[in-house]
Amino acid sequence: MSTKTKTIERNGVSKSSQASLWIRALTSNSEWPDKEEFLDVIYWARQALGIILGIFWGLLPLKGFLGLILFVVINAGVIYFYFSNFQNIDEDEYGGAWELTKEGFMTSFAGFLVMSLQCM
Amino acid sequence: MWADTLLIVFISICTALLGEGLTWLMVYRTEKYQKLKAEVEKQSKKLEKRKETHGDSLDKQHKKKIEREEERLKNNNRDLSFVKMKSMFAIGFAFTALLSMFNSIFDGRVVARLPFQPLAWIQGLSHRNLPGEDYYDCSFIFLYILCTMSIRQNIQKLLGFAPSRAASKQGNSLFGPAPGQFK
Repeated sequence: MSTKTKTIERNGVSKSSQASLWIRALTSNSEWPDKEEFLDVIYWARQALGIILGIFWGLLPLKGFLGLILFVVINAGVIYFYFSNFQNIDEDEYGGAWELTKEGFMTSFAGFLVMSLQCM
Repeated sequence: MWADTLLIVFISICTALLGEGLTWLMVYRTEKYQKLKAEVEKQSKKLEKRKETHGDSLDKQHKKKIEREEERLKNNNRDLSFVKMKSMFAIGFAFTALLSMFNSIFDGRVVARLPFQPLAWIQGLSHRNLPGEDYYDCSFIFLYILCTMSIRQNIQKLLGFAPSRAASKQGNSLFGPAPGQFK
């Protein structure tokens, strides 16, 4: 019985913290006491962006190096806007804007290429 | 061609899951690994904090302390790499055999059309074992590497097996932060 209660409590806590993470990620000027959490948000946002852009680029289709460069610019631009204008975080706390801009970039780029190849 | 592309994505999802599953069986679940990993993460965070607060100070005592902690972290990282090494070799061999099998299945087959002409030094990979001079054709190995790059790392992160940022930042592990990433 006690084990069951504990499990429910634990699940409740994890669910609410998960929900609060989503809310904080989608609310501007949120507080990020845990740096890792914010970096995770940037990482997964970038993966989603890579997949979405990959589908669009494949369907349009947007080919050549212009397509690649456009992806890099949009990907970096959106993330930069997110952390500097939307969340207004202090970049220096995370090792500078460059550290945040490159967080998960290569994985996102690979995901983008795979998706654009699938949809082309 | 479309079916081949999907099949390769599926293959790389399966191999990533298999690789992580095997590593979990042989490494991640062992007490020694968990203990070492926790230790490395704790030390990395501690060292990062210490560097942030005393990084610019010229105090010799602080510098010495930082150096001592760095040394300890290096030793723990080395131990962690050795724990991983045995299984990495076993998995490496198994996956090399699997990869050569898939290579022979997809030999000479165009699995996708690239949206761009790759740079000259990538063409050897993207056009491997393919007939003709059309460099927009994509070979199995190139697509497999791309899939592995995106899928394996995300699976590792989802399952919580990826090394923490602090550890990979500080870590000088023998095989880098994500060993065997392309296997």
